[in-house]
Amino acid sequence: MLTLRLTELPRPGLPLAYPAIPGEPLPPAYAAVAAAAGFEAGRGGALRLDGVVQGRPAWLVGVAPGPHGMEAAGALAAASLAGEGPDGPRHAVIDARGLAPAEVAALAMGAGMRSHRLPFLGAEPPPALRQLDLLVEDAAAAEPALARVRAVLRGTGLARDLAAEPGNRLSPRDFADRLGELEGHGIEVVVHGRHWLERHGYGGLLAVGRGSAHPPRLVVLRWPGHGPGGTPPVAFVGKGITFDTGGISIKPAAGMEAMKGDMAGAAACAGAMLALALRDSPAPALAVLAIAENATDGDSYRPGDVLRMGSGTTVEVVDTDAEGRLVLADALHHARRQEPRAIIDLATLTGSIVRALGHQRAGLFGNDAGLRDAAMAAGEAVGEPLWPMPIGEGHRRDLESDIADLRHCLPAGGGGGWAGKFLPDACHAAAFLREFACPEGAPHIPWAHLDIAGMDLREEGVESGPYPLPPGPSGFGVRLLDRLVADRFE
Amino acid sequence: MLDIAFAKPALPESGALVLPLAEEDLGGGLVGEWDRLLGGSLARGLAAAEFKGRKGQVVTLFAPGGGLSRLVLVGLGKREALDAGGAEAAGGHAVAALGKEGIASIDARAIGGWAGAPADIALGAALRAWRFDRYRTKEKPEDKPRLTGVKVLCDDPPAAKGEWAARRAVADGVFLTRELVSEPANILNPPEFADRLRKLEKLGVEVEVFGQKDLEKLGFGAMLCVSQGSAQPPRMVVMRWNGTDQKKRDSKPIAFIGKGVTFDTGGISIKPAGGMEDMKWDMAGAGVVSGLMMALAGRRAKVDVVGLVGLVENMPSGTATRPGDVVTSYSGQTIEVINTDAEGRLVLADVLSYCKKRFDPAFMVNLATLTGAIIVALGNEHAGLFSNDDDLAKRIEEAGKSVGELAWRMPLGEAYDRQIRSDIADMKNVGGGRAGGSITAAQFLQRFVEGCPWAHLDIAGVAWGGKDQPTVPKGATAWGVRLLDRLVAEHHEGRQAQPAPAPAETEEAAVSGAGSASPAVLAEGTPGSEAPLPAPDLPARPAAEPAPAPRGTRRPATRRPRR
Repeated sequence: MLTLRLTELPRPGLPLAYPAIPGEPLPPAYAAVAAAAGFEAGRGGALRLDGVVQGRPAWLVGVAPGPHGMEAAGALAAASLAGEGPDGPRHAVIDARGLAPAEVAALAMGAGMRSHRLPFLGAEPPPALRQLDLLVEDAAAAEPALARVRAVLRGTGLARDLAAEPGNRLSPRDFADRLGELEGHGIEVVVHGRHWLERHGYGGLLAVGRGSAHPPRLVVLRWPGHGPGGTPPVAFVGKGITFDTGGISIKPAAGMEAMKGDMAGAAACAGAMLALALRDSPAPALAVLAIAENATDGDSYRPGDVLRMGSGTTVEVVDTDAEGRLVLADALHHARRQEPRAIIDLATLTGSIVRALGHQRAGLFGNDAGLRDAAMAAGEAVGEPLWPMPIGEGHRRDLESDIADLRHCLPAGGGGGWAGKFLPDACHAAAFLREFACPEGAPHIPWAHLDIAGMDLREEGVESGPYPLPPGPSGFGVRLLDRLVADRFE
Repeated sequence: MLDIAFAKPALPESGALVLPLAEEDLGGGLVGEWDRLLGGSLARGLAAAEFKGRKGQVVTLFAPGGGLSRLVLVGLGKREALDAGGAEAAGGHAVAALGKEGIASIDARAIGGWAGAPADIALGAALRAWRFDRYRTKEKPEDKPRLTGVKVLCDDPPAAKGEWAARRAVADGVFLTRELVSEPANILNPPEFADRLRKLEKLGVEVEVFGQKDLEKLGFGAMLCVSQGSAQPPRMVVMRWNGTDQKKRDSKPIAFIGKGVTFDTGGISIKPAGGMEDMKWDMAGAGVVSGLMMALAGRRAKVDVVGLVGLVENMPSGTATRPGDVVTSYSGQTIEVINTDAEGRLVLADVLSYCKKRFDPAFMVNLATLTGAIIVALGNEHAGLFSNDDDLAKRIEEAGKSVGELAWRMPLGEAYDRQIRSDIADMKNVGGGRAGGSITAAQFLQRFVEGCPWAHLDIAGVAWGGKDQPTVPKGATAWGVRLLDRLVAEHHEGRQAQPAPAPAETEEAAVSGAGSASPAVLAEGTPGSEAPLPAPDLPARPAAEPAPAPRGTRRPATRRPRR
C-alpha cells in the first residue's frame, strides 16, 4: 500500500515529478529541455529530465485535457518515479504546488491506483514505491481531500486484493474470514453458514455451493453511519463466486484461471463499505454478499434441476454456469427484507455484456430512472462509466419455463437460424434478477444492477479505464459506489 | 393487399364480424346493440367464453346468428391505455382469428378518441394479412388464406377513408420491403434488386443505377472489394423524392442509406453452415430504405429525401478479397480487411461518404443488419441506435416508440475507435476481439460521415421475426419503414429541412461531475504576488499567463501563483 503524505518542504534528493499543464508556462529550467525534447504537456506523456534539478532525478508529466487528466498524470508520475528495474526508489515526491486541493487529490488517486501491489505469493515480492510525498503550499487545506482519497484507495485495494486471491486461498470460508476483519473499522459483520441458509430456504445459493467441498456463505456487512436515526440503509449486493468452474456445464479450459475473480462484485461491495467506514460516511449502508464456489462434483446441481429460492419462487436450472444470477437472487431477496432505500448489485455476470459494451463501460439495468441517472453520473465522475441497458418485455417472456415459475437463462445456441445463435444473456439475467429485486406487487425499492464482467479485470493489451494501469483486478465499482453514496445518500 | 373499405355500421349479410372491445365496454351500449341484432347470442357467448376484454384476448363464436358465419371478439385492454398501436394490434389479431373467412367486417366504434382510429385498425389488419407465397406451387387452395377484404364499420366512413390513404402508402412500402427481404438470393441478386427499384419511378421517384464500371470510376474500393468474389455485379441505386417546391439544386435533403448484401456467405472468412440460409436477408437495410422511399412517394410526402442502397453479394472465390488485403475507399481512407465477413461496413462506408459529398444532407440515417453482437447486447426487441447527434437520436427513439419499432441507444467513444486502428492502413474493419463488436462497427461507419449528423441503426436482431406478432407475420418484419416514415412526418415534412446542430461526442455529453473550467475562471490568477515557501533546489513555476487553454479540472479563482 502506497503511503501518501502531504508536505510543505521537499526533502532533498528524492526523485521528483512535476505535472505540466498545457497552456501554462513551465519553469524556465524545465521549459528549455521540454522544448528541445518536443515535449507536449497535452499529450499526457512523461519526460525524464536529467541534470535539470540538482541532485535528484526528475520527470515532467503531461496533464492531458479531459476529466481524468490529472488523475492519469498522477498514475504516470508514480509509474515514472518507480522506474522499471528492481532498484527503483521507494520514496518519491510530486510537486503539486499551485494546484487546488481537488487536483492534488486527483494526483494522489492516480498515483495510488498505479502503485497498488497485488498479493505476491512467491519468495521475493517485486519492488514498489512505498511512499509518495505531495509537495503543496498549504497541507492543511489539501488534507481533507487527501483523507478521502486514502479511504477510497484502501477500499479499492481491498477489492483488488480479494479478487486477485486464487481460489484455493480464498474459499467461501476464507472470504468470510477476511470480511470479518472489517469489524476493526466499525463495520458489523454477520456470517450465515449452510445451516442458516437451509433454515431460511435460500435454495439458489445452496444449489450453487453444493458441488464444492467449501459450503456457501451469506455475509452481511453493516455500516451504521451517523445520520438522523431511523434512516434506512442503502444496500449493496455482490456476487461472490470464489471460483467458477461452470459446474456440470463446465467451462472450456482456456482462460478458466481468470474465474478466481468471479467474486469481484462482492469484493467491490466490501471495498465500498470499507471506504465509507474509513471516511466516516454519515449514510448507513448494508452489503449482502452471496459467497459460494461453483464446483464440478458428484453432488453438484444439474441442468434441469428445479430450485426453490429464498423468495419462494421456483426456478428451472438450464445452464449451471449461469450461477451468478441464482446466488444474487437470494441475496437480493435478503437485501429487500432489510427494507433499504435502494439496492445496487454488482456482478461479473455475463459474457454477453462484454460483447455488447466491451471493456469501456459496465452494463446498467434497473427499475428506477433517478437511481439510474445518479449511478451514470457517479460512474462518469470517477472514471468507471456505465451504459444503460434494457429489460424488455420479450426478455422476461423468454424466461418462461414449462416446469417452474422461471428458468434462469436460455439454452446456448437454442434459437433457430442465424440470429438464434446470439442470446441477449445480459438482458435475460437482468430480467431474472428483477423478479427478486422488485417482485411484482411488492413495494417499489429503487434497484440498479451493474453487470461488471469486462470491467473487473484489466487484461494485458486491452484498453480499459480512462488511463493505463497494470493488468490485474481493477476494483471496479468501489469508487462508483462511494461516489454514488456521497452524491445521493449522504 | 387486403381490400379495405369503410362503411356505416350495419349487420353484414354474411361472413364474419369482428368486435374489438375494451374492458369497460362489456355490458355497454355497443354490446347491447349487437346482442339485440344477433338475438341474444352475443351476451351468452361473452359469458360462456369468459371474455373480459383483456388486451390481446381473442374469442371466436361460430354461427352466432344474424346470418354471420362467425363473430370474433378482440380484447383491447383498458380504455385509457388504448392508442394507435393497440388499434393496429386489434386489427392484426382479428385477421389472425378469421381463419378461412373470405370477407369480414370490423366494428371500429369501440376504438376511438383520435381521428384515425378506424384507419389504424385497417392498417393493422392489412399488415398482418400480408403473406409471401410466390414459391408455394403445390399449396391446396383450401390451405391458402382466403381473406380478401375487410370492411371497417365506423361513424364517419369518408373521414376514415381520408385517413387511410397515407397509411395505405406506408403499408405498400412495408410490403415492398418484406418482399425484397423474403426473396431468395438466387432470385434477388444486385441487378434484379436494382431493376425492381426502377418501378418506383412510376410514383415519381428519380432512380439512378450505378453499375460496376460507374462504381470503379467513382473509386468505390471498399464496396467493390466485397462484390469482387461474386459472379453477380454490384449496384448502387440512388433514389430521390423531391416533395417540396424547392429547386433540386438548393435543397438540402435528408438521406437514408441501406446495406444491401443480397447474400452473405462471409466470403473467405466463411460462415458456419448452420443458419446461413438467413443470410438472404442481409440486405434488409436496403430493403427498408426502398420501402421507405415507396411510402414517402406514395403518400406524396412534402419533403426532399434521398435513399441510397449499396447492393452486393459476398461470395468466396478465386477473385474474392482476402483477409489482410488493403483497399482504398471512396473517401480516400484506406482499410485493412481483417475479416471478410465484416463486409456490410465496407459497403456502407463508400455509400455514406458518397451521399455526404454529393448531397450534403441535413442528416444521414443508415440501416444495416450489421452485427450478431447487437443481438447479444439487446436481443430482438430493440434495434441498436448509434448516433453522433443527440437530437436526432432522441427523435428516432421517440418515433420508434410511437410505431412500435423500438431502438435503444448504444455508446460511441474514442476508446472504442482506437480498437480499429491498423498497423498498415488508416483502419481495420473489425476491432481487436469480439468485445463491443457492434460499437466498433459503428465507429468504423462514423469515420465516413465527415461530421454530418448521422444515426446508424443496427437491425440484425429485428429484421427477421421468428414468430407471428400482432401486425407482423413471421419472417421479414420491414422494421424501420414505419419508424422512419414517422420521423419524416413529425419532424421534416412541410418545412425546410433544418440542419441539426453540430454533432456532440456522446461520451463528453454524458460526462458530469468534474466539469471543465471556463477560461474566465482560469484567468483570474493574480500574477505578481509573492510565493510562499520557495523550495531550495527546485526551479519555480512561473506565474500563469492569462487565458490558458481550458482543461478538465477546476481550479479556484483565488489560486495563488508561484514564481
